[in-house]
Amino acid sequence: MKKIRFISIITVLVIAAVTVISSCKTSAIVEAKSGAQIWGETCVRCHNSASPEVFSDVEWDVADMHMKIRANLTEEEAKKVLEFLQSAN
Amino acid sequence: MKKLYLLLALVLCFGVKGQDTSSTFQRQAAQNYMSVKPGKSKFMMRGYYHSGLEKEKNGSESTSNFTPGSIAPILMYKQSDKLFFEAEFEGEFGSDGKFEWGMEYADMSYMLNKYATVRAGKFILPFGTFMEKLHPAWINRLSTKPLGIGHDGIIPTSDVGVEVRGASYFGSLKLNYQAYVVNGPQLKDGAEEEDEAGMLNFGDRPDNNNDKTIGGRLGIMPFSNSMMEIGFSGLTGKVGSDGSSYENVRANLYAIDFSFVKNIDMISSVVDIKAQYNYAKIGNASFVDTEDSTEAFYTFNNSSNTYYTQLSIRPSLLNNNFLRKLEFVVRYSELETPEGALWEQSPTQLAIGVNYWIDWRTAIKLGYQTTDGLGGGHDAVTEATQDVYYIHWAMGF
Repeated sequence: MKKIRFISIITVLVIAAVTVISSCKTSAIVEAKSGAQIWGETCVRCHNSASPEVFSDVEWDVADMHMKIRANLTEEEAKKVLEFLQSAN
Repeated sequence: MKKLYLLLALVLCFGVKGQDTSSTFQRQAAQNYMSVKPGKSKFMMRGYYHSGLEKEKNGSESTSNFTPGSIAPILMYKQSDKLFFEAEFEGEFGSDGKFEWGMEYADMSYMLNKYATVRAGKFILPFGTFMEKLHPAWINRLSTKPLGIGHDGIIPTSDVGVEVRGASYFGSLKLNYQAYVVNGPQLKDGAEEEDEAGMLNFGDRPDNNNDKTIGGRLGIMPFSNSMMEIGFSGLTGKVGSDGSSYENVRANLYAIDFSFVKNIDMISSVVDIKAQYNYAKIGNASFVDTEDSTEAFYTFNNSSNTYYTQLSIRPSLLNNNFLRKLEFVVRYSELETPEGALWEQSPTQLAIGVNYWIDWRTAIKLGYQTTDGLGGGHDAVTEATQDVYYIHWAMGF
């Protein structure tokens, strides 16, 4: 009986761990987001979105790092946004 | 034949000269490019400025003023892909008419890995979202701060220490976190300002004890389009001075913040809802009652709370160029400070405004704010109402 309970607990724990770890994977919807989409969704959460032509490539590089920290962007999000802004300015 | 030789000589001559001119031009262009080609270290200065005209009415008294406002230059320096420095200074005229500079924050960040950035220095504490993300004049939809938030509020603004922050996706859900160790707030014992006994001082002086304050915030964005965020903040630490009778007094502060921003096609507008609830509990302490001739001690249950809710609607999806630059804002806030304290208050505030956005970071703000229940304190509770009408201009640069 003890053995069955032990195996049940281990099984539940393994399933829970696998569920958590697999859910850590970024969803396909999020991964498919373009830099323009992230820019459109993220900036407006606090302030109006800046048009790409407002800053130069160098300035966007600095502003992007500032916003990565302040707005808690992931590395991937910050990279995509920077690529978009530098290509559209 | 001679003419032919002469022509050939001329062609050769101009050809060589042309080639020479061309290569000189290319060389110069290359040199010019090299001289402006950005290095890995990059600098940028930004900031914001605001001022305006205000008419204030307190009971039967009223005043009107062009306010000089404040200027806040922000220096940002990207030293490399891993290192970043930023600092914000705020300059404004004090109540004595003298211009003063203050350092809002100055900190360096190091990208530890994909999921963590370490910040060290003086930084705005991620306690809720208003102070860290929404307070700058070109971002704040109104020209004032909600009750209990700001430099004389009941929640922290900035402090000195170390912070780790980052973000990660769990499927479509995004989590962001900040955890920090700082000097922490300090208890005012009434020696400097007797009517502030029991209040907290935030981050503008050396630590008064060896106990460091710890805190953090967890933000949850349940939807993949980031339109909604719920945040939970907490902070705990000793606030009394070492060696004083208050050395074991501890403060526990909590906050819940909410944000919802979405384009609503039906009303051709961007709808922005913000809210934040804050609770501060400070341990029991006794203070000298200087109003009493025997200078007896008095104490009170030192807990405060404040909240605000704000709705702004900007019809930016309309075709009309004038209307799409307008924004309508309404904010309600309440503050409740401890009963029995000399700073006892329970005001309520309603603020409404219309903004005209000249560009994405420059606005003219027209507003009205009424605050009821000001004044009071200890056993001399009074009621007062303050009305403020204003037109402000704010510019991010």
